[in-house]
Amino acid sequence: MKPADGVGSLSAISATGLIKRYGETAAVNGLSLEIPAGEFFGLLGPNGSGKTTTIHMLATLIRPSAGEIRIAGLDAGSNPVEVRRSIGLVFQESALDRTLTVAQNLRFAGLLYNLAPRVIEQRAGALLELFGLSDQRNKPVAALSGGMRRALDIVRGVLHEPQILFLDEPTIGLDLPNRRRIWRFIEQLRARTGMTVLLTTHYLEEADGCHRVAFIRKGALVESGAPGELVTRLGRHVIEVESAALDRVIGVLEPELGPPLVEADTAYFRFPDEDLDGLARIQSGLGDSVSAWRVRRPNLNDVFLWVADSGKLTR
Amino acid sequence: MIARPVYAVLEREVVRMVRQRARLVSAMVRPLIWLFVIGAGLGSFVGTTQGIGYQAFLVPGVIGMTALFGAMLAALTTVYDKESGVMRMMIIAPLPHYWIVVAKMLSAALAAVLQALLLIAILAALGLLGPSTRYGLLAIALPATALACAGIGMITASFSRTLDNFAAIMNFVIFPVFFLSGSLYPVRELPDLLRWIALANPYTYGVDLLKHAALPAGRMGADFAVSTDLAVLAGFTLAALLAASWRFSRESAYEPMIHVLAGKRG
Repeated sequence: MKPADGVGSLSAISATGLIKRYGETAAVNGLSLEIPAGEFFGLLGPNGSGKTTTIHMLATLIRPSAGEIRIAGLDAGSNPVEVRRSIGLVFQESALDRTLTVAQNLRFAGLLYNLAPRVIEQRAGALLELFGLSDQRNKPVAALSGGMRRALDIVRGVLHEPQILFLDEPTIGLDLPNRRRIWRFIEQLRARTGMTVLLTTHYLEEADGCHRVAFIRKGALVESGAPGELVTRLGRHVIEVESAALDRVIGVLEPELGPPLVEADTAYFRFPDEDLDGLARIQSGLGDSVSAWRVRRPNLNDVFLWVADSGKLTR
Repeated sequence: MIARPVYAVLEREVVRMVRQRARLVSAMVRPLIWLFVIGAGLGSFVGTTQGIGYQAFLVPGVIGMTALFGAMLAALTTVYDKESGVMRMMIIAPLPHYWIVVAKMLSAALAAVLQALLLIAILAALGLLGPSTRYGLLAIALPATALACAGIGMITASFSRTLDNFAAIMNFVIFPVFFLSGSLYPVRELPDLLRWIALANPYTYGVDLLKHAALPAGRMGADFAVSTDLAVLAGFTLAALLAASWRFSRESAYEPMIHVLAGKRG
C-alpha cells in the first residue's frame, strides 16, 4: 500500500523473511516488514505471537535465525552498534535505575550515548518539561508513580534523538488517564521530531491513531493496512447474536452470513453491506431462540479477534 | 567515543557507593574487626617474629580483604543490574557489548580502590602503617589487586543468573579466595595442599604485592617477587576480562538473557 501523507518513501525499517527459532518452536516465522521514514506503525497481536521478539531482532538485541534487517539503511547484522545509535527502544519493562534520581538516570543514559553533559542537561530539561516531570528531577525513580516512570522511560528512549523509536507495549499496566497521557506525549514527540515510531500494543483503540497497523499471528504477519481500511475490510457491520441454543442459530445463519466468531454463548457475524434491509428476512427465520440481537459498527478490536481466531480477514 | 559510556558506569558506581553509607561503613568495620579482634587475639598467642607482630602482619591482608570484598560486591551488582532495568539501558546503548563488561570491571576495581584508600587512611591515622611502608608500590599494588579481584567478581557474576544464591557466592567464592591466600599466614609456611591451592589463587599475588608495600622483607614478609606478582595479576585480569566478555556477549547479545532482561511476555 501507499505510505501515508507526510511520510517519506525511504524505508526506516525493512525486514525480509525474519525467522527466530528457539529449539523446535519458531517465535517469529517468515516475517517481512517495510516501514517508511516518518510512519507511525502499530504491530498488533495476541500474547506470545512474536511481537517482542520481532522488536528485539530489529533493535539488534537478538540475532535472527534467518532473514535480513535494515534499519535506517544499515544492515543490522553487520552494524549493530550503528543501528543502536539511530534507534530508541522503550522496553516493556522499565529500563531505569530505581536507586538513582530522575536527573542521574538521564545523565547515565545520555553518557552511554556519548552525549556531552551540557547537551544531556539541555535535552533532559526540555523533555522533562514536555512530559510534565520537571518537578521530579531530583527524586529517586523509586519514588515516582507508574505513569511517571513510564514517561521517564520514554524520555530515556528519545534523549539521543533517534530517527526510529520502538515502543514495546508502552502503556501496559497503566490506568486510563496515564495511558492517555503517554499517548499525548508520543503524539507530541512525533509532531516535534518526525521520527518513525513502531509500537506494539494490545489496547487496540490506541492503535487507531497509527498510519498503518499489522497483525502478527504465530510469528508471521497476517493482515496489514490503515486501521480504517482493515475495519472496512472486516465488514460494514458486526452482528452479535446471543442464544442458549447457539449451535442451532449458527446453523441457520452461517449459510447466509458466513462463519461466525464464537465466544461463550455469543456469535459474531460479519455483515458486508451498508444496507441492513436484508437482515430482517434472515432474523425472522430464527424464531424466539435468540435472546439478544445487536447490530453495530466494527472496530479494530473486531479485526484483532477475527485475525487472532482465523488468521485472515478474507473469507 | 567509548570514554563517556565507560565514565558513566564508573560515575554511577561512585554515586551509589557514596549514597550506600552502610556498605561503606561495613567495608571499614570488617577489616578493623579482623585487625583488632583476630589480630590482637591470635597475636598474643603467636607472639612476634623478626619484630613483626601478628596484627602488623595482618595489615596488608586486611587491605587486600577490603579490595576483595569491595570489588566482588561491586562486580556482583552486575547480576542485580541484569534483574533491574540498568542492564537494559546498557545493552541498547550504541557500544559493543563487551564494553559493558570492561566498564563494570573497571567500576568494581574503582570501588575497591576507593574503599581500600579509605581504610589505609584510617590505618595511618591509627598508626598501624609501619614506617617502612612503601607508598609508591602501594599505589601500584592497590589497583593491580583491585582489578584482579574485579575479574574474579565479573566471572562469578557472568555465571550467576540471580542474586538468590548470594550466600553461596559468599561461601564458595569470596571466603575461599580470602582464606586460601596469604592474607592470614605466610604462604611458605602452609602445609603442601593448602600451599598449592594458595599458589593457584590469583588473589594470593595481590596480597603478596601489598605485603611488599607494607611489610619489611623477611620470614613474615612477601613470598614472591614483585615482578611475579604483577605478571600473575596482569595475566589473570586479562584472562578474566576475556572470559567474562565472552560469556556475557554470548549470553546477552543474544538470548536467553535478553528475555530475562526485557521481561518478555509476547
